[in-house]
Amino acid sequence: MSEEQQAAPPVDAAERVRGIVERVIDALGVDGTVDVIETDRQITAVVDGEDVGRLIGRRGQTIDAVQLICYRAAQRGAKERKRVIVDAAGYRERRREQVIGQAERAAARALETGREIELEPMSATERKIVHDHLKGRPGIETFSEGDEPDRCVIVAPLVTDE
Amino acid sequence: MRDLVEFLARSVVEDPGAVSVEEFEEDDELVLEVRVADDDLGRVIGKDGRVAKAIRTIARAAGARDGRRVAVEIVEADD
Repeated sequence: MSEEQQAAPPVDAAERVRGIVERVIDALGVDGTVDVIETDRQITAVVDGEDVGRLIGRRGQTIDAVQLICYRAAQRGAKERKRVIVDAAGYRERRREQVIGQAERAAARALETGREIELEPMSATERKIVHDHLKGRPGIETFSEGDEPDRCVIVAPLVTDE
Repeated sequence: MRDLVEFLARSVVEDPGAVSVEEFEEDDELVLEVRVADDDLGRVIGKDGRVAKAIRTIARAAGARDGRRVAVEIVEADD
């Protein structure tokens, strides 16, 4: 129980998240600032600046990778698990609106055509947005199919027995 | 690049001191071999390889800046 047991004490989780995001944007050549907000349940790191598209990457794959590393780093030695969000220039909210728009269009088409509609591949977080958004929608059910990273939501007309 | 990958690997393991990264060129590709403590192998790889894949994705994005192809390999320690 000596103090030396933690020879290199990890700084607190929010600071670890900040350190990772700053290091990565530097490596990507993104000239930006990082704001970190911590609540009881969540740590959010928001990047603002030039060229944040480099941080986001194709289909958000780079920012999602950074978010996963931050989540694992924040968990280390922490008593409770907090969600970790890494965002850049309103990317998460913009994606959320796009995903809900796709869900709405797919639901309308599924009802119209009586066929299953497959959405584009999405991350687990984005798939959940679709499931939650269409939950309880009359005549519609949603489920996921395929393997990561190509796993996608299927919006299907509900088949009734009557 | 070596420093970045080492930093990312150290961020997710319990024993950061045991992390080492070797860097070499192979067929126009920059190869980074990551070694961690045995107990940390699962942490640096992650469920379904997700953590290793995330490290790879970030390293590739950083490499793409200078038009470099980058490969990240997690190597089991041989003793």
